[in-house]
Amino acid sequence: MDGMSNTLEPDGDTVERFRSVMLPHLDAAYGFARWLTRDPVQAQDVAQEAMLRALRYFHAFRGGEARPWLLRIVRNTWHDMRQRQAGEQPLDVVENKADDRPDPEQSVMAVDRRRHVAAALAALPAEAREILVLREIEDFTYKEIAAVLDLPIGTVMSRLARAREKLAGDLKGRLGRRDHGLRDL
Amino acid sequence: MDCATCETMVDVYLDGEMSATDCVAFERALELCPECRQRLEDARALSGLLHDLPAEPVPDLLRARIERELRSIAGKSQPVVPAARPVAATTILPRPSMRWAAMAASLIVAVSIGWLGGMSSMQGRRDADELTAGFVRVASSDHPVDVVSSDRHTVKPWFAGKISYSPPVRDLTTGGFPLLGGRVDIFDGRKVAVLVYSHGQHKVALTLWPAGSDSDSPADVAQRDGFVLAQWRHGGFEMRAVSDMEPAEMSAFVKAVNTAEGPDR
Repeated sequence: MDGMSNTLEPDGDTVERFRSVMLPHLDAAYGFARWLTRDPVQAQDVAQEAMLRALRYFHAFRGGEARPWLLRIVRNTWHDMRQRQAGEQPLDVVENKADDRPDPEQSVMAVDRRRHVAAALAALPAEAREILVLREIEDFTYKEIAAVLDLPIGTVMSRLARAREKLAGDLKGRLGRRDHGLRDL
Repeated sequence: MDCATCETMVDVYLDGEMSATDCVAFERALELCPECRQRLEDARALSGLLHDLPAEPVPDLLRARIERELRSIAGKSQPVVPAARPVAATTILPRPSMRWAAMAASLIVAVSIGWLGGMSSMQGRRDADELTAGFVRVASSDHPVDVVSSDRHTVKPWFAGKISYSPPVRDLTTGGFPLLGGRVDIFDGRKVAVLVYSHGQHKVALTLWPAGSDSDSPADVAQRDGFVLAQWRHGGFEMRAVSDMEPAEMSAFVKAVNTAEGPDR
């Protein structure tokens, strides 16, 4: 892992500390992996592998925010596994699950709207997807996002703006009506 | 602030990354610019939509797998002392919330070292993982069953339409195992019936599905760290039972299941 020293064999105390500091963030790790992989089985593999990596590098964790530290490892694990394996889950698998048919009556309903939002987010390129998940779902600050993605804050801001713009455009397209503000969705 | 600045500031403002003084200036500028107000409203709406997306819970099996790894790592690094016992769950896991996961993990470790005969294969390991995860759900949940009834005439029809076969449902109260109810779980990729019985403070989860063979096979009962599993075949059904009771009690349970007679055969 970049910027981290060698691994040490974790002992019982380390495991115990890890359990109280990192394990509570398993939900976030799995949730992030779920959006990155867009596949529940792969997400489990990524989350498990990331937790084990995190344990091996845990001696290098100098306190501070545990969640961004862990999610950075989740992201790196996903990148590595993706390189090892056949590649990303084909997009159409994900998109088929969502009904793309615009339905003006249905789309006013919250459930349907959520489905569209989830489908639109899942369909974004990884670069846009990950930054939106970190900002909007994980509620990370720019600084935390910068740490997870290993980017300068200025780049975080411009990427986030682009991702939002793209998602807003896609959502309007999905709902197939009303070219004015999202508030009418 | 002119409007171009205002536009680029919308995100920063919304994300709570703007300094207090800048906020004041931004809000003042906002009053003068309907377009920027619109932009802010849109951005806020989009943010709200994403924020409201439901989070998917961590699968029980993933939790159990990570527990297994942590325990195995913690166990390996224990100093080798003559007659040292494996680290007890209570030493590593002081929090009660971790108890079930830890027990599940220890069971899975037990399975992975070749215990329970046919379950030592890779497929067998996965099966035991799934069964254990199912029992953890039953044992740690406030609502261990989807249909709550001690009456098999209620439980049996409940399965109709939910799974593709009709499991024999019997009340084993006379054998010491009152029926709590039933639930449908996923095992080996398909829906299966799970009957939940109680035994004092303990619960037993019996997963059963039609067997490929009619011949009965004796129960293989094994125990690790307070968990006990049994697998056998009886009356044309494959049976898998998981519980936290004693092995002798599990044997009694198996016997109660096998000897229970009734119209439900």
